[in-house]
Amino acid sequence: MAVESNVIDAAGPYDRAKALSAFKLGDVTFYWITRLSAISVLLILGGIIISLIVGAFPAMKEYGFSFLWTQRWAPSADPPVLGALGPIYGTLVTSFIAMLIAIPVGLGIAIFLTELCPQWLRRPIGMAIELLAGIPSIIYGMWGFFVLGPFLANTFQPFMIKIFDGVPVLGAIFAGPPSYLSLFNAALILAIMVLPFITSISVDVFKTVPPVLKEAAYGVGCTTWEVVRSVVIPYTRVGVIGGIMLALGRALGETMAVTFIIGNSFRISSSIFAPGTTISAAIASEFAESDGLHQSGLILLGLLLFVLTFFVLAGARLMLMRLDKKAGK
Amino acid sequence: MTDMSVSVSSNAHLAAQQPLPEAPAKVTVRNLNFYYGEHHALKNINLTLGANRVTAFIGPSGCGKSTLLRIFNRMYDLYPGQRATGQLMLDQTNVLDPRLDLNLLRARVGMVFQKPTPFPMTIYENIAFGIRLYEKISKSEMDGRVEKALRGGALWNEVKDKLNASGLSLSGGQQQRLCIARTVAVRPEVILFDEPCSALDPISTAKVEELIQELSEDYTIAIVTHNMQQAARVSDKTAFMYLGELIEFDDTSKIFTSPSDRRTQDYITGRFG
Repeated sequence: MAVESNVIDAAGPYDRAKALSAFKLGDVTFYWITRLSAISVLLILGGIIISLIVGAFPAMKEYGFSFLWTQRWAPSADPPVLGALGPIYGTLVTSFIAMLIAIPVGLGIAIFLTELCPQWLRRPIGMAIELLAGIPSIIYGMWGFFVLGPFLANTFQPFMIKIFDGVPVLGAIFAGPPSYLSLFNAALILAIMVLPFITSISVDVFKTVPPVLKEAAYGVGCTTWEVVRSVVIPYTRVGVIGGIMLALGRALGETMAVTFIIGNSFRISSSIFAPGTTISAAIASEFAESDGLHQSGLILLGLLLFVLTFFVLAGARLMLMRLDKKAGK
Repeated sequence: MTDMSVSVSSNAHLAAQQPLPEAPAKVTVRNLNFYYGEHHALKNINLTLGANRVTAFIGPSGCGKSTLLRIFNRMYDLYPGQRATGQLMLDQTNVLDPRLDLNLLRARVGMVFQKPTPFPMTIYENIAFGIRLYEKISKSEMDGRVEKALRGGALWNEVKDKLNASGLSLSGGQQQRLCIARTVAVRPEVILFDEPCSALDPISTAKVEELIQELSEDYTIAIVTHNMQQAARVSDKTAFMYLGELIEFDDTSKIFTSPSDRRTQDYITGRFG
């Protein structure tokens, strides 16, 4: 601002070219600052990928693709045997169960808040959701360990076993000795942790639906459920799926709480009440004491998580494109 | 504004400025009051919509025309703090009865809005959607109903080759006719138009007006409009509202040629509003 007024003072009121050239310089600076900021994202991403690949290279060379389907994880054996199947399985299963719980509950809360909730209840529930997002993950881990774990092991699992005992597939899913630390415990905690993402993003996008569009749907005689299912969700599906993907990304990579309650066992069990591990939990619990090939294997696990997350996001994009096609866009 | 009578006489319904005979009452409004919270928006409204007649509501912005329209299908119920007192009968049904099935009411009283509101789905689904809410019919029957509704909305020839395109891909005028077709598809008894042409170009407006005329053969129609020529062109009866009151309600030809209230006269001649 100071530059501009000086130029005008010096050149008199009618000489605008000089003042404009000062602006131009500012514009060029602005352009380069924003451009460099944008490029820095690519540099950081590229740097992370390269350092992961370099760190993981010894393990890649040693195990090749069999790393992906070997279940045994014995870093102190000679030579060390490392397989990622257990962590991959645990990551996918916990995230899947977490989303299975969090998507319907999160959308349900969002629908209730935007379409049905009386005005006075809106703020308390909305604030509670935001607070839920603010709780540090280690607190979730401790809560899962001291409260949820005992409840699941002593009450919930026996109950499920009683119901599903002898049923072919479901029986095996719930079977096994009770354990405070389990895949299911981790999945439940993950579900609670990602719930605020799904809810708050869904609430935001639900609010963008034009009231007149909803009125039009009510106007042909829709119930609230039909309005939500046929108008609100289709209208906002890009945003809702975006929220779900953000939540899934968080669930796949969440470390601290999961490390606390999953049990860190590399053995794959059919029961969701058995201990397991996830990629991030395995890295967190072993990285400090690792070296050599073991450490390289852990870095390779990190690279796998990176790739897994990438594929999930790409899959989401693909799904959105399919949906658009189906809706006739 | 004296040429108004000329444009009126070009209207088939109002030819020779002879009002149609009184129609049996479809909707009867008695001592209706409406409140937005504390604000008393409609004061003691009394009027009757004749069956198979077009009734226009005119008046300056904020006079309560749209508010009145939104009582006919209880749309105000979606919002807290809004309430109506008095009596509003649709045939023998008390519309203001709190126990009334609103979904059923809105199936009987369809509504077309100011802005086109196609649902985020295909053209075909936009029509089929409403029908499916009330009837379980086969695919071929549904095809027939959709075609009939789109013909009813004077849109069939333009969209018959792209029924699977998104409703949002149509032009504004086509979208509005899609919305009319969607409303007609549910087979309502009354259709409410809330400034249906205010977002449309003149050609689309003419098409929609023509359509409203045709629809009045089968439906009872109420239309809110800011365009007085439009009211004169399409309606049989006109209600002039001002500051929440119904000032004058009479045959359209009479309202536009010899209104009995000074304020009506001032409004239609453009002296205020």
